[in-house]
Amino acid sequence: MNWLSDNVNRLALLGAAAILILTIGVVAKYFKQIKEGKSEGVLKEENWDGIGEYKNNSPIGWSLAFIGTIIWGVWYWLVGYPLNAYSQIGEYNEEVKAYQAKFESKWANPSKEDLLGMGEGVFLVQCSPCHGIDGTGIEGKAQDLTHRLLKKEVLDVIHRGSAALGNPNGQLGYPLGMMPPGLLSGADAEAVASYVAGGFKGSGKGADLFQNTCASCHGPDGRGMNGMAPNLREYDDTIVQHVLDHGKHGIIGRMPSFKGRLTPVQEKAVAVYIRSLSEGE
Amino acid sequence: MFSWLEKNPFFFAVGVFVVIAFAGLIEIVPDFAQQSRPVVGAKPYSLLELAGRQVYIKDSCNACHSQLIRPFKSETDRYGMYSLNGEYAYDRPFLWGSKRTGPDLHRVGNYRTSDWHANHMWEPTSVVPGSIMPAYKHMFKNVADLETAYAEALTVKKVFNVPYDKDLNGDGKVDVPLGSFEQAKQRALQYALKVAEETKRQDLVDMVKQGKVPEIVALIAYLNRLK
Repeated sequence: MNWLSDNVNRLALLGAAAILILTIGVVAKYFKQIKEGKSEGVLKEENWDGIGEYKNNSPIGWSLAFIGTIIWGVWYWLVGYPLNAYSQIGEYNEEVKAYQAKFESKWANPSKEDLLGMGEGVFLVQCSPCHGIDGTGIEGKAQDLTHRLLKKEVLDVIHRGSAALGNPNGQLGYPLGMMPPGLLSGADAEAVASYVAGGFKGSGKGADLFQNTCASCHGPDGRGMNGMAPNLREYDDTIVQHVLDHGKHGIIGRMPSFKGRLTPVQEKAVAVYIRSLSEGE
Repeated sequence: MFSWLEKNPFFFAVGVFVVIAFAGLIEIVPDFAQQSRPVVGAKPYSLLELAGRQVYIKDSCNACHSQLIRPFKSETDRYGMYSLNGEYAYDRPFLWGSKRTGPDLHRVGNYRTSDWHANHMWEPTSVVPGSIMPAYKHMFKNVADLETAYAEALTVKKVFNVPYDKDLNGDGKVDVPLGSFEQAKQRALQYALKVAEETKRQDLVDMVKQGKVPEIVALIAYLNRLK
């Protein structure tokens, strides 16, 4: 009888015995009622072809359930359905809100590795269909993100001004505003374009012209004076954020705006990842 | 009071049906009627877009691509805002699809461009390595059927009162003009030329200049319109 030492087994046995006794008792009661019971009470006035019905009070449990249902019905009609009903969109909104709060607290101070990993993930989903998995722009179909600028791009912007970028205001939203078209032309433009596209190396005509013509906005080092104008040397956080928000329409083609689709941390992460693409040079 | 009903089972059954269906009717019918109205800003498809939609149906794009973004964070992160009923008000039939072998396309116009679509439809693996989508090179040769598209537009305009040739947003201008077939075709050709130039393929531009709209151009116009 080892199994009886277990409490749960003993409880189950007790329950089984209780059910058996109750069943026998109830069955016996009804058998007795069928054998000996007589109908009694006051008949109602209605009579259907000789078949009558006794006057019975409704059972107390039934009455309580009936009244309770009426009260619940009034609540559901006035409050439950209009104010508390389930909504798929409501659940979605709560899910997104909870996720954003968690996301923001988790990535309040991301490390460079965190940003790099996050940036790679976002890049592969959102950017790689056009810029390619390796970010090289799929043979000229989109901007090659392993280089900052091509000579033909610089020439195009010098020739047409920042209107060449095709945004509604002709610019990417920098404080210094639009770049006028035709600041340089001919051989001068060529020299500056080679200097800028070549990574600001060497001195000579291109470097001098850059200092005289372009440096007042883009800075002497071409880094855009801390976000006052586009950085021409690398994809800094500001230019990535501006291009994602405004989209771009340059000499290669049109990039749609990704405004509102990425959080500020994700935009920063994309910038970190894009910079990492050109680090091997 | 109810003895009459008890003697007439048919009317009793009708009464029972009304009582049981009542709650359902007052909860479902008004909501359904309101949700199926076009959302603010919804516009009917122009002739070229409608021709592209027919190409989409003809080549069974909806067998692999859905057009319905569900309200889940994973979907809205990738595809954009979840879909609303009223956005499909001018879709006859709607192209929700039931299988996503490829990605959802309901807002593809927000994040892809004409030249990308042209590259992709010509040779999918050239832009998406590992893609299992077949190439659709015949679309670059076949000519889109503007006549049938016009017939469809005119039919829904007359039969379902779809608001072509009407000012929808109250700025005093007709939003989606249709007019006669000649007018509509001229407008579609101008639109097609713009799209063809965006694809940067000279053969498509040449075809449009000869007055023939390649299927791919109509399809891209339709896809760009999905926002």
